[in-house]
Amino acid sequence: MNDSQSDATYFESVVSEIEAEAQRRSDSGEYPRALLRSLDEEFRRWIPDASLENGVEDTIRGVEAAAYVDPVVPVDSRSPLGRYIKWAVRRFTYFYHRHTAQQITALGIHITRPLRLLDASVKNVDRRLSALEDRFDVGTTARAELIAGISAFPISSDFREVLASHLATASGRVLFGDQVDPDLLQFLRASGVDTYGVTPSSERSDLVDVRQETLIEHLEHLEDKSLGGFVLCGLTGRASLNEQLRALRLLLLRSKPDARVAVIVVHAETWSARLGPVAADLLDGRPLHPETWTHLLLREHALEVTAVQSSDSQSTLITAKLS
Amino acid sequence: MTSVHQLVPTISPRDAVGNHTLALQGVLRGLGFESEIFSMFRHPDLMTKTHYVDQLPPNADAVIYQLSIGSPVADRWARHPGKKIANYHNITPISLVGKWDGLLAAEVQLGRDQMARYANVCDHAICDSDFNKAELDALGYPSTETVPVLFDISSAKADKGTLTRLLRNRRGTQVLFVGRIAPNKAHHDLVAAVRTLRDAHGDEAHLHIVGTDGPPGYRRVVDTIVSHAGMRGHVTFHGSITQEELVAHYQAADVFCCLSDHEGFCVPVIEAMHHGLPVVAYECTAVGETVSGGGLLLPEKNSLLVAAALHRVSTDAQLAGRLQEAGRRRAADFNRTVTESRFRDSFSVLMESQ
Repeated sequence: MNDSQSDATYFESVVSEIEAEAQRRSDSGEYPRALLRSLDEEFRRWIPDASLENGVEDTIRGVEAAAYVDPVVPVDSRSPLGRYIKWAVRRFTYFYHRHTAQQITALGIHITRPLRLLDASVKNVDRRLSALEDRFDVGTTARAELIAGISAFPISSDFREVLASHLATASGRVLFGDQVDPDLLQFLRASGVDTYGVTPSSERSDLVDVRQETLIEHLEHLEDKSLGGFVLCGLTGRASLNEQLRALRLLLLRSKPDARVAVIVVHAETWSARLGPVAADLLDGRPLHPETWTHLLLREHALEVTAVQSSDSQSTLITAKLS
Repeated sequence: MTSVHQLVPTISPRDAVGNHTLALQGVLRGLGFESEIFSMFRHPDLMTKTHYVDQLPPNADAVIYQLSIGSPVADRWARHPGKKIANYHNITPISLVGKWDGLLAAEVQLGRDQMARYANVCDHAICDSDFNKAELDALGYPSTETVPVLFDISSAKADKGTLTRLLRNRRGTQVLFVGRIAPNKAHHDLVAAVRTLRDAHGDEAHLHIVGTDGPPGYRRVVDTIVSHAGMRGHVTFHGSITQEELVAHYQAADVFCCLSDHEGFCVPVIEAMHHGLPVVAYECTAVGETVSGGGLLLPEKNSLLVAAALHRVSTDAQLAGRLQEAGRRRAADFNRTVTESRFRDSFSVLMESQ
């Protein structure tokens, strides 16, 4: 083994020791985790949302700097004679270059003015958009942190037979999302329902025919009137009111006229009791009442709207047929 | 006489691609070729050594394009009837610059587009690293090879004033990084790592950053992070410095730390190794193959791990010594004479096969 090989082996073993040491200190709490988190958050906070945020201003400054055209032509040359000739030509044509340079500079300045106007206009739109976003959803971050720590409510087994029977006549694929219950999914398939799951969770990515993506993203890429039905659950407990209504609107658009639909909703009282007052207050999209879902479906002219409560009174299944 | 000219979007004397282009011109002339450099934007100091792009002779036997950014110059190269050779130095992915610098984002996007578009017109491509070569191979370039960039490992002597000042002020581990202050170089991670080194290991470490400012937005963020981390007095931005001052930095520091997210080669790593400075680097893109046994390569760069590595190097004399020796050996692989000879071999074959 030569020096290089011997060193490479030695350095690899040192890196392993360093990794073990870092892990040991991390586990024992010796490292200032709070500080590391705050540095990371600080960096993320300052990453621009888009190049427009800082880039336009900087770009215009660059254009402004370049807009000034220097009429003094360089006279460097490989030979002293060449340098002298260039200098003489520059001297005799300076009036011409200066005139041309002034006009080009003026043109450059006239070009940057509308750019400044555009920049101001874009920033104004950006400010108004931010204000609008704040009015609609000021608690996005706080809610996202809460949602990340919430485990899904189990879907009551009382709904199995009802769902299987309701979906049996669906004329097409049935979407199940965004909380996938593997047993229920299996049961529905065994009952002859052509169903597939959509969930943002990576926990059950091993399941057959379960897409790992958010329900809204999935629905945005589906064709209209392509679903034979849907079972909406999970999102009904976590998402904001706006997100829930958006998901319902997309589901209705993507469903066939006679689609069989179902919504599983955990009761607001159960939800609040389980998560506590902080989550209940901050999760402004905490479960809509079953009556609200019934109202929303009826408003879309759904037929045969039926609500079934679970035996433990913690959740309700609403089924309907689209017209 | 066979003519092999070079096309480069911008040429500047204190720039890795600029220096490489000038050095390659020497190699080509040494082979007996007529060789000139044509560029769209020329630094005033290089006006007499280079030509404006429209003077490129249409009857040149071969044209080498120095590819590192998008430019209309590339289209001129692609349309040239002579043999077309690309010298690829890598283009930073738009994901790393897009949010910081709109103009640069447009240029790198154009560069990536051109790189893909010209795969079928390029007769041969020479890449700085295997990482760069793999990118061109994936795009279907028919003939590629790896030859490192030509650069002079400075034989300059350290600036005495700078060296004295750095040695006088040193307390704790002196960590050095050299490179443009740009998001792909991850200066923010360096700040976090040195902050952790100070906190977790009771080391009065200091971070020295040498290099010009890149996107202004990124520099502002790094400044904010330095303040937020309470590192105002423990991080020094030295800006662009002379070669002699740079050598003083390499001599005064304890460890060179590179946490870049993207490098096509990374010349400062080689310079640090040449000057006997132990190298700790995050293994990604071309950094791993550049360091290759000459330093400690970390599989990830969370600040806990980097701080532990910096601490180990600064406290373990045996490790530091072996890193110095291994680094010097590795740096010797990039000796200018060796690399020039590889370029000579390559071009001899290329132009013979014409």
